[in-house]
Amino acid sequence: MATHAPQPPAGLPEPPEVPLVYQRRIRDLLIQALYVAVTALVIAYVVLQLGGREYGFGFLNQPASFDVGNQWLTNIDGTTNSRFTMYLVGVWSTIRVVVLAIALSTVFGILIGVARLSSNWLVSRLAMLFVETFRNAPLFVQIVLWYAVVLFGLPTIQNVINVGDFLFLSNRGIAIPWTVPDGGFWGGPDWMVGVWVAALFAAGGLAFWVRRRRQTAERETGKVQYPNRWALGLFAALALASFILLGMPVAIDRPIVEGTTYAEGMAIYPEFAALLLGLVVYTSAFVAEIVRGSIQALPRGQTEAASAIGLTAYQRLTTVILPQALRQIIPSVTNQYLNVSKNSSLASGVSYFDLFFVANIIQNKIGHAVEVFLLITVTYMLMSLVISLIMNYINRRVTLHSV
Amino acid sequence: MAELPQPAEARPPGRVVLPPHRERARRPFADRARDWARHNLFPSRGGTLLTLISFALLVLLLCGVIWYVFFGADWSVVSSNRWLLFAGSFPRDEEWRLWVGVAVVFFMIGVAYGLWSRFNRRDLLFVAIASAFLIFLMAHGGAAAWSSIWFLVALALMFGGYVVAVRIPRDNSRLRVRANRIGIALIALALPIVLLILMVGGGAVSTDFDGFVLNVILAPVGIVGGLVVAIPLAIGRASSLRIISWTCTAYIELVRGAPLLGWLFVALFILDDVIGGSLVVRTMVVLAVFTGAYMAEYIRGGLQALHHGQDEAARAVGLSRRQTLQLIIMPQALRVSIPPLVGQAISIWKDTSLVSVILPMRELKGNADSAIAQTEFIADRIEAYVFVAVIFWIVAFTMSRISQRVERAQGVGER
Repeated sequence: MATHAPQPPAGLPEPPEVPLVYQRRIRDLLIQALYVAVTALVIAYVVLQLGGREYGFGFLNQPASFDVGNQWLTNIDGTTNSRFTMYLVGVWSTIRVVVLAIALSTVFGILIGVARLSSNWLVSRLAMLFVETFRNAPLFVQIVLWYAVVLFGLPTIQNVINVGDFLFLSNRGIAIPWTVPDGGFWGGPDWMVGVWVAALFAAGGLAFWVRRRRQTAERETGKVQYPNRWALGLFAALALASFILLGMPVAIDRPIVEGTTYAEGMAIYPEFAALLLGLVVYTSAFVAEIVRGSIQALPRGQTEAASAIGLTAYQRLTTVILPQALRQIIPSVTNQYLNVSKNSSLASGVSYFDLFFVANIIQNKIGHAVEVFLLITVTYMLMSLVISLIMNYINRRVTLHSV
Repeated sequence: MAELPQPAEARPPGRVVLPPHRERARRPFADRARDWARHNLFPSRGGTLLTLISFALLVLLLCGVIWYVFFGADWSVVSSNRWLLFAGSFPRDEEWRLWVGVAVVFFMIGVAYGLWSRFNRRDLLFVAIASAFLIFLMAHGGAAAWSSIWFLVALALMFGGYVVAVRIPRDNSRLRVRANRIGIALIALALPIVLLILMVGGGAVSTDFDGFVLNVILAPVGIVGGLVVAIPLAIGRASSLRIISWTCTAYIELVRGAPLLGWLFVALFILDDVIGGSLVVRTMVVLAVFTGAYMAEYIRGGLQALHHGQDEAARAVGLSRRQTLQLIIMPQALRVSIPPLVGQAISIWKDTSLVSVILPMRELKGNADSAIAQTEFIADRIEAYVFVAVIFWIVAFTMSRISQRVERAQGVGER
C-alpha cells in the first residue's frame, strides 16, 4: 500500500497524521478481533447450554433392537446387530433411492425439457402442464400422495393385477422379474456371473477404445467413421458371445404370489415406490426447466445453421444443441442432484428406512441428539461431496470436449 | 403457404400495398388457423402421429381427472373437516381475528397491485375462480356461511384498495413517491400487523396456530428472517477480512449440508436447551437460519455479477464503505438476485409442509392426517392429500406468476 500512496509534492506542509483507529490495517484487525470475540461468546454460550448432556458415540455399538424393512440386501437382523450397522443399512437405503432417482429424473427431465421446446404445439403444452403441475406442489405431499395411491388405489394382493405373469401390481407393492445367477448349460458354478460381468467390463473398455480411434480418424480424414455405431455394435456382439460361451450364466427369475406376499423376482415395496416416484417426478420437472432454459439461452443461429447444413431434427439436437447447452445444464443440474440427496430424507414421511429415519429411531430410543445430528450431517455432506466431485469431473470432460 | 404480395398493377386500383408480414395478418381467420395447425400440429407424418398420441394422452388425462373429481372421489373428508384443515385448534371464539387478518392481507395485495401493476383479464379470471373455489369450500353445509361472508368482505377490501391505489398517477409526483413508500411499509409490516391482530388482547397463543394458518405464518417468517440473516452473511462471505469470510462460508456450507428435516430435528431435540421458547418459535428460528444460508448464496451471486467498477466509482466520488454498500452495491445485487430469491421463497413455502414430519406440530398436511385418522374418513386418504397438494399448488403457482410479472415489468435479472 505504502508504495502506491501519493507522495506530497515538495514544499507543501506534511499531511496531518491519521489517527491509529482510522488506519486501514489497524481497523481491519480491530473489526476481526471484535468479530472473533462475539462469535466465541456465542459458541461458548451454546456449548455451556448443551453441557448438561452426556456425550460419546458408544451408544452406536450397542445392539439396535429394532428392525428395518426386509428389502433388497437389507434383511439384517436388528436384535443382534449394533445400532451403527443399522445406520449403515439406512445409508445404503438412501444411496439406493438417490442413485435411481438421479438417473431416472435426468432421463425424464431431458425428455420433457426438449418436449417443452418442441415445435409441436400440443407436445410442448403437455410438457408445460407436467412441469407446472409437479413443480409447484410440495415434494413431501407428493410422496405421501403417491404412497396413498399405491396403498389405497391399487387392489389388495388377493386381487393382484397380473400382467402376463411378468409384472404384479397390488398394495403390497410391485413385483418385477429379476436376474439370478444360474449354472447355465455347462452346469458351471454360480460365480460364472462374475466372470461374465468382468467380460462385460473388458468389452466396454474395448468398445470405448475403438470409439476413440474412430473419432480421431473422423477428425483427421473427414470421412464418416460411425464411432458410436461401431462401439455399440462391438459391445453388443462381445457381450452376447461371452454370454453364450460361458453357458448363459444368468437366468430371469419371474415373480410369483405366495399367499399374501411376493416370492421370487424382485418386489418393490410401496414405501420405496412412492419415494422414488415422488423424487423422480418432482426433480424431473426442475431438470426439464433447466434444460429448457439452457437451450433457449443458446443463440438462435445455432439451430438455424444446423438446419442450413441439412441436419435432421434429431442430429441437430444431439450434435449441435445439447452439447453446447450441457455447459449451462451441468452446474444447475448438480444443484438438483444435491437436492435429491437431501430430499431423500422425506422417506420418514412414508416409513422408508433411510438414514434419517433410522437415525431418528435411534434418537427416540436412546437420546444423544447432538451426536445423531452430527452423524447425519456428516453423512449427507459426504454424499454431497461425492456428487459434486463426480459432476465436476463430468463438467470438465464436457467443456474440454466441446470447446 | 403464405401468399406473396402481388405486383401493384395486378391489384384493384386504390389498394395500398403492404409489406408481406402485414399482408399475412390480413388473411381471413380460417386461413390463418389452418396454417397455424399445419405448422404446429401436422407438419409431417411423424409430427401428426406425435400430435395424435399427445391428443389421446390429453383426452385420457382430462377424462380421468373429471371422472375422479366428480364421480370417483368422496370429498366429504374435506368438506366436513374444513375448519380443521384451515385453522385446526385455533380457538373458535376468536375466529374473527383470523378473518380480519385475511382481510388485511387481501387489502394489502389489492393496494400493491394497484400501485405497481394492473389487474388484467386473466388475473380477474384467476381471482374469480380461486374465490369461487374457496367460497364453495367454506360455505359447504351451511354452518360456515359467516366465513364466506367474511371472505367476501375481504375480497371487497382487496378491490377497494386496488381501485384507490390504481388512481394514483404513475409519474414522479410527490403523491406517487409517498404512495410507494406507504406501500412498501405496508408490505414490510404485514406480518407483524397480522400477528398482532391474531395474538394481542387475549387472542391466540403460539401453540394455537395450526393447519393452513400455520403454513401462512411460517413461510413469511422464513422468507423475511432468511433475508435478514442472508444479507450480512453474503456481505461477510464477500468480505476481504479472511476470518469473517471463512466463518461465513463455513456457516453457509454447514447449513446447506444437512437437509431441512435435520434442522427441524435440531429445533425439536437440541435447540430447547439453547434458546428455549416454544416449539413454534424455535421452528421459526430454524427456518430463518436455513433459508438465510441459501439466500446468502444467491445474493453472493448477485454481488459477483456486479462489475467492480461500481465499487471503485462509488469510492472515487467519496462515499464511505457503508454508503457504497448501502446505496450502490446492495440495491443492484439484490435486483439481480430477485429471481432465485423468489424461487427460494416458493421453495420455503412448500417446505413448510415438512414441519409435521417429525415435529409435534400440525400444519395443513398434518391436519389432513388428523382428518383421515377419523374412522369414517379412513378410506379417503387420497382425497385429503389431493386437496392439500392443490392448496399448496395454488399459492406456489400464484407466487411464481406474480414474480414473473415483476421481473418482466422491471427487467429484473437482466442486469
